[in-house]
This record gives sequence, C-alpha cells and structure tokens, in this order.
Amino acid sequence: MNLYDCKILLVDDEKPLRDMVGSFLRGAGFHKVTMAADCLEAEELFALKEPHLVLLDVMLPDGDGFSLFKKLREFSEVPVIFLSARDEDQSRLRGLGLGADDYITKPFLPEELLLRVTAVLKRVYRVKGMQEKEVIALGRCTVDLGSGVATWNREAKDSTEMTLTAKEYAILQKLAQERGRIVTIDALCDAVWREENYGYENTLVVHIRRLREKIEEDPSHPKYLLTVRGLGYRLV
Amino acid sequence: MRKVKTERLTYNYRKAARFLRYGVLAFFGIAVLTCILNIVFLISAGVVYEKKEAWYIYGERVMEALTLTQNGYTLDGKMAEEFEKNDQWAMLLDENGRVIWSIRKPEELKEQYSGPEIARMSKWYLEGYPVQMRVWDDRIMIVGMQKETMWKYNIEFSIPWMEFVKQTILIFFLINFIWVAALAFIFTKRFMRNRECARIEWIAGISHDIRTPLSVVMGYADTLEHSEGLPGEARQQAAVIRHQSVVMKELIADLNLTSQLEYSMQALRKEKVRPAEVVRSVAASFLNDSLPGELKMDVQIEKDAELLCVNADRQLFARVFRNLINNSIKHGGKREPVEIKIALWEERGKCLIRLEDNGAGYSEEVLRRLRSRKKAASGGNIRGLEIVKKIILAHGGKIRFGNGEEGGGYCLIRLRQMKR
Repeated sequence: MNLYDCKILLVDDEKPLRDMVGSFLRGAGFHKVTMAADCLEAEELFALKEPHLVLLDVMLPDGDGFSLFKKLREFSEVPVIFLSARDEDQSRLRGLGLGADDYITKPFLPEELLLRVTAVLKRVYRVKGMQEKEVIALGRCTVDLGSGVATWNREAKDSTEMTLTAKEYAILQKLAQERGRIVTIDALCDAVWREENYGYENTLVVHIRRLREKIEEDPSHPKYLLTVRGLGYRLV
Repeated sequence: MRKVKTERLTYNYRKAARFLRYGVLAFFGIAVLTCILNIVFLISAGVVYEKKEAWYIYGERVMEALTLTQNGYTLDGKMAEEFEKNDQWAMLLDENGRVIWSIRKPEELKEQYSGPEIARMSKWYLEGYPVQMRVWDDRIMIVGMQKETMWKYNIEFSIPWMEFVKQTILIFFLINFIWVAALAFIFTKRFMRNRECARIEWIAGISHDIRTPLSVVMGYADTLEHSEGLPGEARQQAAVIRHQSVVMKELIADLNLTSQLEYSMQALRKEKVRPAEVVRSVAASFLNDSLPGELKMDVQIEKDAELLCVNADRQLFARVFRNLINNSIKHGGKREPVEIKIALWEERGKCLIRLEDNGAGYSEEVLRRLRSRKKAASGGNIRGLEIVKKIILAHGGKIRFGNGEEGGGYCLIRLRQMKR
C-alpha cells in the first residue's frame, strides 16, 4: 500500500484548525482526509471510512479525546495521534502509554505533524520506503543492517565479510538512525541493554573498540565512528 | 513515605512563609478589630445602661425627694408622678421595722417587719416583689417594683478562687487570642489557596485557548513560506510570522509553567533521574542543532558522579539545562564560538552541577533580580533564568548565579542526592 493512500480521520472542534491541518495533509499528498468536529461525528465517520490513522484532539465539545480513544480501542487497533493544547495532557499521555501512538502539543508546525504522521504510518503498516535504507556505507566498508554483516572492499575483487555481534549491531543501528548527530553514551546503553543500563559505560567502550576494528580502516584513528568527548559518539 | 513528606515540607517552605506573612497580618488585623469591637460594645452597653437606669426609681432619689414635716413625710410631687408612671412603690421603715411612710404599697404587704424578714428581703424578694433597700440614718428605705419585673441574684466567690482567677486571667486571654489567631490563619490559608487555584486555572485556560489559533497562524505562515507561487519578499514575511509565532508559543509555555511552579505542586512529576544522562543528552542536542564551530561544549562528569541520582521531574530538569545553555548562547555577549563548560560532581552527599560560559557574564541588574526573593514581574532575557531558579527551588535545591574570575557567567546548582 502506498503511504499516501492511507485514510486519515482528523477530529478537532476548531474549524480553522481542521481546515489548516486538512489542507496541509492534502498538500503533502494524503488525499483521503476526513474531518469530524466532535466525538459523535468521529464515531460515525470512523465506522464509515475505516481510517488508517486518527488525529484526535483531547478537548472536544461532547467529551474528551481520551474516552473516545478508549472507545475506539475496544474494537480497533488503529493508530492514534493526540493533538493536545494543554501542558498537563502531556504527562497524562505519557502515562497512558497503552496504545496512543504519539501526541503533539499545540501549536505545532505542519512539518512536525507530517513527520509524526508518516512515522506512525510507516511503523504500523510497514509501508514501502522503510527497509531500503538498511545498508550503510562507511567508506570502503558497507554494513548491511538486515543481516548484520560488514563487507570490506579492500581491493576491487578482494572482499571480506565480518559478522557483527548482537551488541555491536545494536550500537551501529542506533548510530545509523541518528547518523551525523551525537548519540549520548546513555542513549547507546539504552539501545543495547534496555532496562537498568547504568554502569555499562566501560563495557560500551569495549564494544565500540571492537566495532571500530570491524568497520574502520584504522581503528585507532577512526574516520566514521567518532568519539565526542564527554558526551558520546557520532557516526559520520 | 516519610521521605516524600520531608520533600513536600521543603517545597512548601516558601508557600508556608507566604501564608505566615498573611497569617501575621490577619492576626494583627483581627486583634485591632477585636479591640475596636470591644470598645464599641462597651460604649453602647454603657449608653443602653444609662437609659435603663432612668427606667426605675431607686432609693437615693426617693430619699432626696422625701422631706420630713410636722405632718409626717411628704414626697415631692414630681417623684410621686414618677412612681405612678413606673408602677413602683416605696415604704420607709423605722428602727423597729414599722412602716412610717409609704406610697402605692401593695395591700397584701404587712405594716411591720421583723429582723429576719428584713434580712431576707435585703437579698431576695419581698413576697415576690423585687425590692431595693437603702439604709437612711436609723431608717430603711425600701423601693419596690411589681412582681416578675426584676431578676435578682447574689454571687459570691471565695478569696482563693479570686486569687486564682487573677493569676490565670492573662493566660486565659492569651489562649483565646491564640485560638482566634489560628482561626484567622486557617481562613487566610483557605482563601489564598482558592485564589491561587483560580489564578492557575485562569492562566492554564488562557494558554489553552491561545494554542489552537496559534497553530492555525503557524501552519498557514509555514505554508506561505514554502509556497513556490509567492514572491520572495512575501515568503520572507511569512517566515517572520512563523518565527514570531514560535516565540509566542514558547512564551505561553513559559507562562503556564511559571504559574504552575509558583502556585502548585502538581506540576512536579518526580522520578529517579540521573543528572549525568540529562546533562549529556541536552548538551548533545544543542551540539546537534548548531552549526559546526558555533558552539563548544565541555562536559566533565567525574567517574563517581556518573551514577548520582536525584529525585526530579525529568522534563523540567532537562529544561533547566536547556534554558541555561540557551541563555549563554543568546545573551553571552556573542563571542564566537560560544564555549560552555558543564561539570558534575558529588560533594558531601549533594549533587553539584556547575555551568559556565565564556560570555560577558551576567550584568549587575540581572544578578540582583535573580537573587531577590521578590516575585518580580520578569521579562526579557531573564525569564528563562527565573524559570531555572523556580524549577530548582521547587525541587528543594539551591542555585547560585555569578560571574567567574575570567569574565563568563556561571550557575551553580546543588541538589539533594537520591539513594540508589
């Protein structure tokens, strides 16, 4: 399915905002955008259109977005992005966790909204354009994140393959996601060890060194996987 | 549980101080009011009493109006009229208890009274008639009223009891005073809380209402900015609108946060936070968003400080560093590149964080305003720093702003450590 064929239901009681977001989404290529002004209309349209994504305002004239969300969840797993105008909602949404896919605090820039909408749609429906970028080029070395294999083209014909360990793979994947940006030690530890990731900094250094041995030409003078002193690492 | 309570206490310190101030004011207010009320009461009681006195005739006046002539006693005509008017009566007894003169005396009463009878009526009633007695040389003047018109009672106290009352009366009044003060305090507190709640809700409501229209402004400005069909100048102007809307968005968020921090504690969602992690992630995000060579960050975290934890609201805690770094970048004196040094270490069980820049340092005015305890109407470049201060204080920490020896401004934060 094409990303832009996804049907989006926008629920907000403010007509100007509805028009603005609607026109922006259409402008961005989403041609199946439906709009509802309250819970009742939203439920009707939901049953009628079966949208792929719901953009839901928290404050609605006939109830709040949270309860509508729970209602929808009873029979549908549709991804929902909340639009919230109150700071207080943020914490509630964070705490909610049980399935709201994202939230945006008003006011927002259209790109921000578009970014989240596409991210959620890609994640949920695995639409095209997701798996293609899974090979990263680091000079003469290419790493296929699908298989976790680093391939070296030392000379034109001579190529060697090295398999990354699970931890090295996780580190490289995280760095590749944020390529060009600094990833802090903590974010890396979190990506590799998930919960309770304190005190792994030293182990991380060891894994980074091994990873460099596999992907860098000169591991003691890295060109791609750089250390940012005091903060973390960066993949350039 | 106990820990939570202590933290609440620390947080409530400033609030308590404010309440105390209002409490003391209310206390004095009520004290003054009580005094005034008492005086008014006494005066009016006196006036009423004065009027009441004229209501009935008492012995002295009768004695003054009574003259002894050859024909016996004669009462002044005016007085006699008054007796009539008041429906009172009087009689004069000689030393043997015999009635030698009377006016309007009820018929049922006797003509002579014995010692015991006189003793009895001196304290109580005479056959149900309330009477007043005055001894006039060797005679007794008795002025009476109709039945059921006067209440009489005798009181007497033992001397030790009166001594005791004399000694304790001060304490008794003090207790009363304290009780009144406590009551005043409680009412003030409730009043303050209601007012604060109303204010927070008002601000939250306003900021909520502004956000939706602002979204529309931002959205269309952004669309115009990127619309190919418009001339360059118009697109430039749209960019300015968008940028200014973002500034407004931040202002609203600041306003809301400030009011929440000032008046309520619900804004804090405390959890275990590692400052090392937060500092690094904020520093990294600033570096990521800056142009190369524009910003230099030197983050020094001691090995032991890596695992330090504090009990804090993660979002607000990150906000502290974002605001501080932002301030250094925007108001540091435009020295390129901006260099920011952040150090984190442990000292006597506290978590210390020092942030220093290479700018021109804080001006005297800014320092004075940051150090003052007053809730000054903040604005301009100081707002971000005041929010920093408020967040740290709300977390029960200490914060100091100052200028380093080499010129740059610094900020030192001291927070209580949380047990791992």
